[in-house]
Amino acid sequence: MVLNPRNAWIRQLVAFAIVLVLWELAGRAGMLNPLYAPSPARIGAALYELFADGRIWPHLEATFSAALAGLVLGIAAGILLGVLAALIPAVAELLEPVMTLLNAIPRVILAPLFVIWLGIGLSSKVALAFILVAVLIFFTVFSGIRQVDRRLVERITTLGGGRWALVRHVYLPSVAAWVLGNLKVAVGFAFTGACVGEFVAASRGLGYLLSFAQSTYNSALIFALIFLIMAVVLIIFAAAGRLERYLLRWN
Amino acid sequence: MLEGASIAVAPGAFVSLVGPSGSGKSSLLRAVIGLQQPLAGTVDPEIAPPEIGMLFQDDALLPWRSARDNVALGLTLNGVRRDRALKQADLWLERLGLAGFGHRFPRHLSGGQRKRVALAQVLAREPKLLLMDEPFASLDAIVRARIIQDVAQLVQRERISALLVTHDLEEAISLSDCVYLLSQGPRARITREYQVPLPRPRDPVQARVHPAFAPLYERLWADLSREVDRVQQPEAA
Repeated sequence: MVLNPRNAWIRQLVAFAIVLVLWELAGRAGMLNPLYAPSPARIGAALYELFADGRIWPHLEATFSAALAGLVLGIAAGILLGVLAALIPAVAELLEPVMTLLNAIPRVILAPLFVIWLGIGLSSKVALAFILVAVLIFFTVFSGIRQVDRRLVERITTLGGGRWALVRHVYLPSVAAWVLGNLKVAVGFAFTGACVGEFVAASRGLGYLLSFAQSTYNSALIFALIFLIMAVVLIIFAAAGRLERYLLRWN
Repeated sequence: MLEGASIAVAPGAFVSLVGPSGSGKSSLLRAVIGLQQPLAGTVDPEIAPPEIGMLFQDDALLPWRSARDNVALGLTLNGVRRDRALKQADLWLERLGLAGFGHRFPRHLSGGQRKRVALAQVLAREPKLLLMDEPFASLDAIVRARIIQDVAQLVQRERISALLVTHDLEEAISLSDCVYLLSQGPRARITREYQVPLPRPRDPVQARVHPAFAPLYERLWADLSREVDRVQQPEAA
């Protein structure tokens, strides 16, 4: 059978629907313990409740704010440090081992430290999202600048361009392309940071709700929140994908 | 590594350098335009780098700029206002047969088209000296012949001096007034100089059937083969 790749999304959707239906049927037949695996209908009901009484909004807002702030600050810091390290050998010497270490560990283990330093409010979540994103972007930019196409540099030089022209026409667009290429990963990292931070200690946010649901053994709420976070990240991915396609349309 | 090269390109003349790989042909061009320093001696072009254009082997256009933006960039980098530069860019793209392709990104152009954009980029700056480092090597035969025709025509019309580095003897003879043969490196030097007795103005494709073409080609080929063969044998003590 020849599969038309254009219709892949239809097949994926159908497969997903079939899984949901089988899941629901298995639940109703008593094959699944609702304490562990509540049926899709009950998850849907829990999801509906979250929105119906409006109590989800402050939590969504908290997670969004933390993720977005961490994302923006992390990208800015990552670019700045990456450029500095690529241009100034002394900076690279100091930064590279630190960044390599931060890259090697699961950075979420810093969450408890940030809570002690910054409290259970928004800033500790921003800090966690920030550190996750900044290290990623640092390596993207740092290794990217070292691999800038020498031929482009020579081309601009022979056309009479100086240092500033090289930065503007070669280095900046190259950096922008690499950062954009990693934007989706960075978005995922930012939400990871925000949610894990909230999970550790918070009074608001999706991560906080998850922790609450876990402590009350409310598996329907846990599934509802997982699906909600998936949906939120997918929407942001789609937006990031569009931005990427537009800005990298030359590629 | 090239030693003691003394090459003079008269205004409006087309000069080619041929020689075995590693004889330092490319290094010479790079030294002329200031991409690298000669180990000793000086490069003394009577014209300064802004009046020298260089066409590279690859067509490294800025991938994030459209064809006309790439061409215009060569001008704006030298202080030409952007609107004027774009007008010039369109003009040169048209001269090179790329009217209507200006908005395309390099990725969406063929290899020959990209080469033409690179050529437009260099020529739009109205250089007095055009350096070419095997610029046509990567193109297929027909595209290559057509571009060479255009280069010959534009260089003659604009009275640009040209210095071409190539492996292709036909290309060298059909385009040039004078061909220099370099010896095998290391310590390569200019071993011979050939005046090309073909009339000007000239079409490089037609030139190949001129009666003076074949004898010169044979001489050059014999001399070059001897240079290339020398690398097989150890230097006599």
